[in-house]
Amino acid sequence: MFDWSVIEQNSHLLLMGLWITIKYTVITSALGLAIGLIVALMQLTSARVTVLVGRLFVEFFRNIPLLVWLLWAYYALPIFMGINISKESAGILALSLYGAAYFAEIFRAGIQSIDPGQSDAAVALGMSYRQKLTRIILPQALRRMIPPLAGQMIIQLKNTTLLSVITVPDLLYQADYIASFTYRPLETYTAVAVIFLIVLVPLTYIARRLEDKGPR
Amino acid sequence: MRDDNTKTDDAVIAVEDLHLSFGESKVLKGLDLTVGRGDVVALIGSSGSGKTTLLRCLNLLAHPNHGRISLNGEPFFQHDSGKDVLKLSSAKTNAIRSHIGMVFQQFNLFPHMTVLANVMEGPRTVKKEAEKTNRDRAMSLLEKVGMAEYADRRPDNLSGGQKQRVSIARALNMEPEVMLFDEPTSALDPELVGEVLNTMIDLAKEGMTMIVVTHELGFALEVAKRTVFLDQGTICAEGAPHEILMNPPNDRVKGFVNRFHQTAQLMKPFVS
Ligand SMILES: Nc1ncnc2c1ncn2[C@@H]1O[C@H](COP(=O)(O)OP(=O)(O)OP(=O)(O)O)[C@@H](O)[C@H]1O
Ligand SMILES: [Mg+2]
Repeated sequence: MFDWSVIEQNSHLLLMGLWITIKYTVITSALGLAIGLIVALMQLTSARVTVLVGRLFVEFFRNIPLLVWLLWAYYALPIFMGINISKESAGILALSLYGAAYFAEIFRAGIQSIDPGQSDAAVALGMSYRQKLTRIILPQALRRMIPPLAGQMIIQLKNTTLLSVITVPDLLYQADYIASFTYRPLETYTAVAVIFLIVLVPLTYIARRLEDKGPR
Repeated sequence: MRDDNTKTDDAVIAVEDLHLSFGESKVLKGLDLTVGRGDVVALIGSSGSGKTTLLRCLNLLAHPNHGRISLNGEPFFQHDSGKDVLKLSSAKTNAIRSHIGMVFQQFNLFPHMTVLANVMEGPRTVKKEAEKTNRDRAMSLLEKVGMAEYADRRPDNLSGGQKQRVSIARALNMEPEVMLFDEPTSALDPELVGEVLNTMIDLAKEGMTMIVVTHELGFALEVAKRTVFLDQGTICAEGAPHEILMNPPNDRVKGFVNRFHQTAQLMKPFVS
């Protein structure tokens, strides 16, 4: 009844898909973290316009479904801007900015959770804003932010599956492809689900362990 | 090196006509204060009178709306009804701050660093000082405040008194011209107050210029050269501690001092 040999025969396609999935997760997480930190810092300044722009950025991405935003970035953005962007670039752009909004919230909450007295002490020593941030605030905040950041990266990995709708050949896209010519959707999608579980369960476990240890 | 033939009246800190409001509420209403080299000034006054705010203005942790503040005769803050007259760069402001040491009620030690790293952090990051010079001076300061054997510990394992002594060493390691203390013993268990006061007394004896917000009237009486009494954002009495505290010049001060004497009286049967 089941014919698992289709998985074996097409394992190279699945592995390629997995590689793409991981690659996009790493790239969009890295970009998302960098942009997210900037957006968080914007919201923590005293300049009202900057705060507002940061806030709008976060609210925009938190209130738009990722699939809608992804399709918009792929189909509408190029027309809108009068530029040509590849599906890869559109995918990276869309996922990075979307992730950035969530990373920004984690950074903002993490930085705000640090006692203002720490900032006072750093400033009183004569530290610049940058020194205060890199030497005093971020090292403490990062420790508290590691569990939520790990959690967000897991979500980021799951979100990459949406790339398949703009035909980026990620793991899910490869599954669609294999199923279409083997007529074995049951085996194929089961295999993909199992692969995701194998990758994600250990990551989730580690994230939970970090969370249980609690902020230090 | 400090000038030994101390000209006591050459001002380290001079404050002129300082005003500060938080929104609608006026917190400082035209303060003048001059602190000479080697002066130890006790700043007293009831809760909400603006003591912390004044201290925070002195290193620009708070920004007044009007007035002038100078360090060694050099103005570093001057606002004319909200208008910035000097327009100091933030680098210059930071440089000024590095000459003014501050000790907080809640210590504010950096919990992710060891005691020694806390003390070394200022010169290391702000002055980019050579590691060895910094470490040697930091260790001798820790020695001085009796915390050398705790150099490799994290702050959270220390008692309040120990934390405060480390925070004093941290401020001193920047070799400041003046030290500001904001109720340095108020967060401490009573039995730990003495060790911190002793450290401060040693510092005063060495000729450090100090401005100390305190509720320890004993400290004001014994150590301070001058007592400044703050009431609702203005200085309502100023002078030698025994004059102010023993013969209060006005009702405000009298009421404040009496409350302390009363508590002391009430406590007498228990402390004997
Ligand atoms: N950041 C702030 N925003 C708004 N109001 C403030 C702020 N900081 C202080 N205040 C107000 O300014 C007044 C003076 O406060 P300040 O902390 O300087 O008093 P204090 O003399 O140090 O009192 P305490 O003895 O309780 O420490 C108080 O009424 C306080 O509520
Ligand atoms: Mg106060």
